[in-house]
Amino acid sequence: MHARRVTNTVSTGVVVQLEQVRRVFNNRQVVIAGMDLRIDSGEFLAVLGPSGCGKSTLLRMIARLAEPDSGRIRIEPNDERFQTAFVFQDANLLPWRNVLDNAALPLELMGESKTKREEKARAVLGQVGLLDALDRYPAQLSGGMRMRVSLARALVTEPRLLLLDEPFAALDEITRFHLDVQLRELWQRRGMTVIFVTHSVSEAAFLANRAVVMGRSGGAIKLDRTLQLPAVRDNELRGDPRLGQEMRLLLGAIEE
Amino acid sequence: MLRRTFLKTAPALGLLSACSKSPRIKLALNWKPEPEFGGFYAAPYSMHGLDVEILPGGSGTPTVQMVGAGSVDFGIVSADEVVLARSHGNDVVALFAVFQHSPTGIMAHASRNLTSIGDVLKGGTLALESGLPFARLLERKYGFSHVKVVPSPGGDITSFLHDENFAQQCFLTSEPIAARKKGAAVKVFAVSEIGYDPYTTVLAISGDSLRKNPDRAKAMVAAVREGWRAYLDNPKAVNQQMNQLNPTMDLETFAEVSQVQKPFIETDDTRRNGLGTMSRERWETLIGQFKELGDISQTIPADECFRLL
Amino acid sequence: MKKTLLPPLIPFVVVALLAEFLVREGFVRAYLLPAPSAVFRAMISSRAELFQALLSTSTGSLTGFALSAVTGIAIAILLSSSRGVQRAFYPYAIFFQTVPLIAVAPLLVIWFGFGIETVIASAFVASVFPVIANTLSGILSTDPPLRDLFKLYGASPLVTLFKLRIPAALPQVFTGLRVSAGLAVVGAIVGEFIAGGGLGSVVDIARTQQRIDKVFAAVLLASLLGLGMFGLINLFSHLMLRRWHASEQPL
Repeated sequence: MHARRVTNTVSTGVVVQLEQVRRVFNNRQVVIAGMDLRIDSGEFLAVLGPSGCGKSTLLRMIARLAEPDSGRIRIEPNDERFQTAFVFQDANLLPWRNVLDNAALPLELMGESKTKREEKARAVLGQVGLLDALDRYPAQLSGGMRMRVSLARALVTEPRLLLLDEPFAALDEITRFHLDVQLRELWQRRGMTVIFVTHSVSEAAFLANRAVVMGRSGGAIKLDRTLQLPAVRDNELRGDPRLGQEMRLLLGAIEE
Repeated sequence: MLRRTFLKTAPALGLLSACSKSPRIKLALNWKPEPEFGGFYAAPYSMHGLDVEILPGGSGTPTVQMVGAGSVDFGIVSADEVVLARSHGNDVVALFAVFQHSPTGIMAHASRNLTSIGDVLKGGTLALESGLPFARLLERKYGFSHVKVVPSPGGDITSFLHDENFAQQCFLTSEPIAARKKGAAVKVFAVSEIGYDPYTTVLAISGDSLRKNPDRAKAMVAAVREGWRAYLDNPKAVNQQMNQLNPTMDLETFAEVSQVQKPFIETDDTRRNGLGTMSRERWETLIGQFKELGDISQTIPADECFRLL
Repeated sequence: MKKTLLPPLIPFVVVALLAEFLVREGFVRAYLLPAPSAVFRAMISSRAELFQALLSTSTGSLTGFALSAVTGIAIAILLSSSRGVQRAFYPYAIFFQTVPLIAVAPLLVIWFGFGIETVIASAFVASVFPVIANTLSGILSTDPPLRDLFKLYGASPLVTLFKLRIPAALPQVFTGLRVSAGLAVVGAIVGEFIAGGGLGSVVDIARTQQRIDKVFAAVLLASLLGLGMFGLINLFSHLMLRRWHASEQPL
């Protein structure tokens, strides 16, 4: 049953197509057994599932940090280098660099000039509200601020595909809510494809248009649902019964 | 019940502890087992009622401190060490002097055509233990301005063999022989040439120990004297024993050294007064030399430095 | 100032007073343990000689240490390049750690002669291994997510080495340098026993003269040298790490 899919007007994302993707670990444990999945351009997909179901592995394969043992992952279009960005569970900033240099790192590695990359870094840092912390070092930042730097770093290359692996899991709830809203806004403005792995059912429901629940053995997809929620997501939605409904559905699929 | 068990076992324990109460007498050497200690290994200790354990030493073994501190009963030192020790309040007493004349010397390559000890200081490199009195007497007499003085290699002749202009302090009875074996032509000069001639390889005891147990010291000296007689007459068996303990010197060298050292050990004095004898004059001369060098602030009575038993 | 100097000074003063008491009252004989007052007097009376010796040993140990630092870090970087290289060459690095310096020093004299070159070489041999081991460990233990990050943006192994792995290894490099400094002083003194010069020579000669007060004076100076080097490294470490490393952050 097709509900209205919410995509953006400016589509600067990519289509990710998984065909019979299979991944096995050394001890012959089948992590992902023959997964087929298509993610549309500009979609915000949440991936849920119990621990060890292979969500992180899936994400790493899409990012090309790991290779599937069989099957393939196609990303279209694939004309730009480094159009994928990854946000890890830890902010993973370079502790010996300040906020500005950390955010500019991807551009530095891609060979951009100092003035250009600092300009772009400043722009994204402004978008996450860190303009008055440019000179500070990660040791001097709170967990939430560090994660915002990590987000800014991911966005500085204007990626078409943004992958996030439980990025807000270590943060307190208030900061988490705040960053959820910020992330959603950034997505709405830019229109890239986002794949967001999370443990939190409420977070998945709040952020995504579509949610996929992976099963414990072989990561089989137990639920693939387009969420019946308004396009604008703000803190008001947290109390909305429709959110609760979606959450119950997702939770049910996980607990099966 | 417990009391009875205790009373039964107490005498047995007492006996056991009495047996372990006579520990072996420790004699510390100041070098590895070599012919210079032959007489100590040959000595018939048990015939004099002694149970002696000989502890080999090496480079830098602090025998004079070990004797003074009481960690060993007897030690091998040199007369100059005794004088210095006594001046620092370390009460050690010499009992038996194996080497009547100092075998310390300087070894140089024959190709340099040197004729006296002073010539060695005219150029090249000289390895010495600069802290020793003879080194400072040498410096006083000839000056070190033309020679490069470096630390003594402690018996090692590698640097000597490598360099024609390298001369080193040695025991006349040992390094020159080793060098000749390696094909070097050497010329040796005895340090006694400059008038410095302390008794060497001297058996010493702490003043305390001597006062507490003079009979034991007497027995020790007697055993050692007999041992040296035996070794001088026939070193072969003891050489083999020492070679087992110190394989770095081969049996042939053991034999050669034990012959070469004889004139240092057996002299007119010893034939008159017995092996290991010492005289007050020799000690006084030595003390005077130390005073002159400024190493000791007051003269020490020579009679306190040694005892003939 | 007060916070760093006062605490270590207290046990030192207590021990010194105790030693002074023990020797003065005859509980310990003066030729076995010199009274601190005697050591102090020896320091004053031989100050010119000791000062020269300290300069010489400082030169030898600092140069040897500097060589260890540079060479050690370079070797560690080379070893980090591949597992094969590590397996082939790391055992030889361990050789520097285990070889008894006293046995090698006479060989060093044959190669480098009776001068400060041997002292420097000896200091180097004694101190290079901790630098190699710690630097290598630091380089190899970079966080995998950070390495993923660099991989994601196509950084070559060389770029990853210089922009990520080496800066990340810096705290461990300093740990290695701290250990190495003290060893360099010990190595220099062993070298001086064989080749002459410096505090090692003072100790050797004083020993044969049974001047134990002078021996202690020289040893004390050597310890101060080691402490000084240690302090210098800590200063550098603080300057380079203060903004970002946990070890420099206030608790």
